[in-house]
Amino acid sequence: MTIKEKGYTHWKGGLEDKKLPWFPITRFGIKSTFKKKFFKIFFFGSLIPALIFLIGIYISERLEDFSSMIQRPEQLLNIDPGYFNSYFTGSFLLFMMVMILIFCGAGLISDDLKHKSLQLYFSRPIKKSHYFLGKASVIFFFLFMVTLVPGLIFIIMKLIFSGSFKFLASYPFLPLSVVGYSFLVTGFFSLYTLFLSSLSKNRRYVAILIFSVYLFSDILFGIFYGIFKDQYFSLLSIQANLQQLGAFIFNQKLRYNPPWFYSFLILFGISLLAAIYLKKKVKGVEIIK
Amino acid sequence: MSIEVKDIHFSYGKVKALSGINLHLEEGAIGLLGPNGAGKSTLLRILLGFLFPDKGAGRVLGYDIKDEQHLIRRYVGYMPEDDCFIPGMDAVTFTSYLGELSGMPRQEAMKRAHEVLFYVGLEEGRYRKLETYSVGMKQRLKLAQAIVHDPKLLFLDEPTSSLDPQGRKEILELIKDISSKKDIQVLISSHILSDIESACSYVVILDKGKLAAQGEISKLKEIKYKLYEIKVKGESSGFLQKLKKNGCGVEQTEDMVLKVYMPPSQNPQEIFSIALEEKVQIRHFVKSQTTLEDLFAEAVGVD
Repeated sequence: MTIKEKGYTHWKGGLEDKKLPWFPITRFGIKSTFKKKFFKIFFFGSLIPALIFLIGIYISERLEDFSSMIQRPEQLLNIDPGYFNSYFTGSFLLFMMVMILIFCGAGLISDDLKHKSLQLYFSRPIKKSHYFLGKASVIFFFLFMVTLVPGLIFIIMKLIFSGSFKFLASYPFLPLSVVGYSFLVTGFFSLYTLFLSSLSKNRRYVAILIFSVYLFSDILFGIFYGIFKDQYFSLLSIQANLQQLGAFIFNQKLRYNPPWFYSFLILFGISLLAAIYLKKKVKGVEIIK
Repeated sequence: MSIEVKDIHFSYGKVKALSGINLHLEEGAIGLLGPNGAGKSTLLRILLGFLFPDKGAGRVLGYDIKDEQHLIRRYVGYMPEDDCFIPGMDAVTFTSYLGELSGMPRQEAMKRAHEVLFYVGLEEGRYRKLETYSVGMKQRLKLAQAIVHDPKLLFLDEPTSSLDPQGRKEILELIKDISSKKDIQVLISSHILSDIESACSYVVILDKGKLAAQGEISKLKEIKYKLYEIKVKGESSGFLQKLKKNGCGVEQTEDMVLKVYMPPSQNPQEIFSIALEEKVQIRHFVKSQTTLEDLFAEAVGVD
């Protein structure tokens, strides 16, 4: 007897309270991002700095073998928090992170708004926090792949190549700095992307916004700095604020004059406003006034 | 008892959407009927916890609509009115995904997704991208996602909207199968009277945010008034005014037939007396059968 002839049949299983109710959202987000054209190229391209820095760590432990190729190698390949700071706050990596955000984050909420699928999510036993966590975790996954994961691999490889814990004993705060900065930059970019994604039903506009807001904030800093020669204008730039915080977290000399907590307050403020807006905007039902 | 609401009020800004709704709905298929803007979808959204009532209280399947929406949504299936889907998915992924979000284990959700897609007649298109689906297929898909987790209560918001007659018939048959043969309670919101009449045994009629009537369709259709269809010749405005003054409801159809809803205490002879007074000729006079349409017209007003 076919299902149609049998009519409706009950499901014999039981519904359960899942520990990670948001996980299916993340899994789908990650899968669908990998299916996008050119994403893999950009994603693996963004791993190039990690590969270069990893090679640097290897060379730093085999200086004798490479002494003929590199001039003053001790100075060039001094593996310390500054080396990590160079990796994490490098303009290329930050730029590639923004490109990843365009691929994985632009449609996260805007597609749901466009296709009115929020009501499908919220007619299920998931809360707003689950929805946001599921969406943000997609961004966390991809950004951790270029921040947290390489950072921890650098430390592990340095220990393996050197064959001792001397490095870790010299910089015991370094793993915490790697974790802390990775969470900070990823957390900020997640809220930044989700906020912009909720502004439009068109993912292309969102992609343009993600890129242009990041880029123009930096251009604005450049223009004002060119006119007034005041480094406090670095507070206008997302990139400069992230670099400033990176320098602080990795215990390096700050790049710009303003204190690090100014940058922190600005990024925190943007994140807070984004979170408040998202909480108001994302609802199971759209009310047209 | 599946749904109980007491004195529910809700406004969209200054616009009052629901005002003092009291309901006590038992098992079976229940129709939520009303013209556009009557507050049907708003009521469904309040019952699901999408909207928070300004005033009043309620319980769905025994769970509080203000504090236990999470539990309500676990056991309720919802088929929205809007054309909604998640892009980039095929029907199997979509249905199993929403099953998983309802709390089903992944493998079970996938198995069940196939089953319900077969049930709603989407077996052949189940691996097609949803973006390529026709309106009819999307309606079936919305029904499939609503039943994937085997809910105890099913909310269907305009389930037959935008469907051709054959599609409507098939969806209604599925709804009837779900509600009549099995122990799932169904609440159908619609403005299509024939759909409600064919699929439901109980009806709630809303008008301008207020409860206009509720009860079993068969009982409501029992004569609360006498219905006559009349055709007249001559200037009828005075005649109509006098009928209304006498407590009758009057509706004029497109083919110029007057439907007169007369209180049971009155004598139809009075219609002829008024016609005589107003010098109107009655050319056609038939005692009509009461339909849900008449009931609806009487409940929400015939003007």
